[in-house]
Amino acid sequence: MRNILKIGAGALAALGLTVSVAQSAETVLWWDFLGGGDGVRMKQLISDFNAAHDGEITIDATTLEWGVPFYTKVQTSAAVGEAPDVMTYHASRIPLAVSQGILQEITTDDWSAMGMGQGDFAEATWDAVTIDSKQYAVPLDTHPIVLYYNKDVLSAAGLLNDDGTPKGMDSREGFTATLQALKDSGSIKFPLGSVTGDGNFMFRTIYSLMGQQDGELMTDGEFLTGDNGDKLENALGVLAEWTNAGLQSTYTDYPATVALFTSGEAAMMINGVWEVPTMTDQHAAGNLFEWGAVELPVIFDHPSTYADSHSFAIPANAGKEMTAEKRAAVLEVMSWVDKNSLFWATAGHIPAYAPVTNSAEYKAMEPNATYSPLTANMIFDPKSVFAGVAGPMFDVMSTYFVPTLNGEMDPADAVADIKDELNDM
Amino acid sequence: MLRNSRSEILVALVLIAPFCAVYGLVFVYPTIKMLLLSVTDAPLIGPGEFVGLDNYTRLPGERRFNTALWNTTYFVILSVVPGTIVALLIALGVNRLSGRLQALVLALFFLPYILPVSVVYRLWDWTLNFQFGVAMHVLDWFSIPRIPVFKTTTWFMPAVAFVTIWWTAGFSILLFLAGLRAIPVEIYEAAALDNAGRWNTFRKITWPLLWPVTALVLTIQLILQLKIFDQVYLFSFGGRPNDTMVLVQYVYTRAFVSNQGGRAAAVAVTLFFIVIIVSVLQFQLLRLAGNSGKGDDK
Repeated sequence: MRNILKIGAGALAALGLTVSVAQSAETVLWWDFLGGGDGVRMKQLISDFNAAHDGEITIDATTLEWGVPFYTKVQTSAAVGEAPDVMTYHASRIPLAVSQGILQEITTDDWSAMGMGQGDFAEATWDAVTIDSKQYAVPLDTHPIVLYYNKDVLSAAGLLNDDGTPKGMDSREGFTATLQALKDSGSIKFPLGSVTGDGNFMFRTIYSLMGQQDGELMTDGEFLTGDNGDKLENALGVLAEWTNAGLQSTYTDYPATVALFTSGEAAMMINGVWEVPTMTDQHAAGNLFEWGAVELPVIFDHPSTYADSHSFAIPANAGKEMTAEKRAAVLEVMSWVDKNSLFWATAGHIPAYAPVTNSAEYKAMEPNATYSPLTANMIFDPKSVFAGVAGPMFDVMSTYFVPTLNGEMDPADAVADIKDELNDM
Repeated sequence: MLRNSRSEILVALVLIAPFCAVYGLVFVYPTIKMLLLSVTDAPLIGPGEFVGLDNYTRLPGERRFNTALWNTTYFVILSVVPGTIVALLIALGVNRLSGRLQALVLALFFLPYILPVSVVYRLWDWTLNFQFGVAMHVLDWFSIPRIPVFKTTTWFMPAVAFVTIWWTAGFSILLFLAGLRAIPVEIYEAAALDNAGRWNTFRKITWPLLWPVTALVLTIQLILQLKIFDQVYLFSFGGRPNDTMVLVQYVYTRAFVSNQGGRAAAVAVTLFFIVIIVSVLQFQLLRLAGNSGKGDDK
């Protein structure tokens, strides 16, 4: 009898427990486009989140194909009310998304509920998620491009400063001299591994070089007005010059560029910070030389680097109102991941949430700490519905960058054509 | 009698109804919707304002439409007739073999056809990659400068056409082989008795009797190649996508990259009519050619 009572009480308790769990547990549907090395790290963060919110919030995550497929799916699913509760979004794609009405505003109440605000983010990053003084996403990181270099090769050629950074980073002449010295050393195939076969990618480098001259792609809805065309021509000119002098690899696509650098055939490489885990892992396995990563060289007037930001956005599901509980859960997801983004930094990205980058742990991370000061010099895409990764502006640029960077086309002709074609859109 | 045929009609209607319903739902209805969409300024999702024929009248002035039209034409020229000739030659060769050897050789030629386009892309991208491609090392041996095949407009279309022929010839070869086997052996025996040479046998017997199959292969190829998309899209990735654009890719870009559903629909409708007109025209021409061929024989 006692046993039966015990079992009965146990069953009742178990029932009570499951009921209370079912009442408080929110499942947050999550979509992201993080398929690479950073995707592995995000999965880790998600499972940490789920463990920390056991019985309260569960993230149900799906990873989709990066680029046009992802953004098309978001758009179509939001139109029929089948979008997730939260998703990763490129800040550069926000203007288009807002014009399509597929993102919900992150209100002042939301920010205070998350315990975050404008002061926690770099100015350029905050601005990148802001349209008409309303925010549409919570920045998770910024992912600029940096200069990777082979310390062994540079050191053998006497091209390293005492602090281990490359020489000649402060001027066009200086950097070209460094490249030339590397070529003359004869120890490598290319001084600079450059993604010259992929104009989409080169947009990042070229836009950075334009930013170093305060050039703007778009002013008042017009493309390349005033002397901005000349500034683009200057940027293309310096890269074309390196090609003509045999200082960088030609017609090289993205994977080949990484391979040239990691195999030691190219002494330096301009690439995104997302390749940091590749280098760290290979180095840890003993397959890589000593390496470093620094902010891009100052070729023109002042430092400037193109960046984009992975951020979190809440889709505006047509005809499907989000409950207050669900929204609170989504806000908790976004703020928790942001506040725990120190681990995300191991993917190379610079966390957007300043308290993380200001922490002592972050400052001890290398090479992240070396290049993270560049956040002061970041520029983002122009705010246009044509802008953004895998957007139409990328395609126009790409079409002219590839021939120009490989010596097939004159930079001046390229600029004239780019101008016409951008204004055609 | 009357009642009988009426019930037959009823049965017939019942039998074809499922097909009509599905055909109407997945082809006729979307086509009408697309026609309606093409006269609006709708984005990819959602309705738009009526803009009349603007989406059509602006096409001739759009440089990317013209590029796409030219590239598609160029690709058709490079792939349809050459692809058919290659398939015919291989089929004639395979036909001379017999038994297991024939099956083996045929299987080898047919193998590429079963590959998905993504695999075809990977294979040839690895082979022709400018930095690491196997073919580039061959060029190096002969001290020929390396060619960035998929990154320049000069080499892009010929290379994609070559890959396409390599990939799809297998199917045409099968059709040709079936055609060749359908030619009665007696005719060849008679020709041999008359001391006809190999070339004369081909010109006077094989070619005219094979003509219906040739016409079929040409038409299938033409329609297929006018709708080229996959290979061009994959190989142009990151290269010079706007310079190597083809028509279907232009539809895709307008709709999914530029978010202009109405303008994309206008291009799609235009392509639809180009395919119909060109293939009907070609089929008629081929029929005429076939008839005049027969006329010579008489």
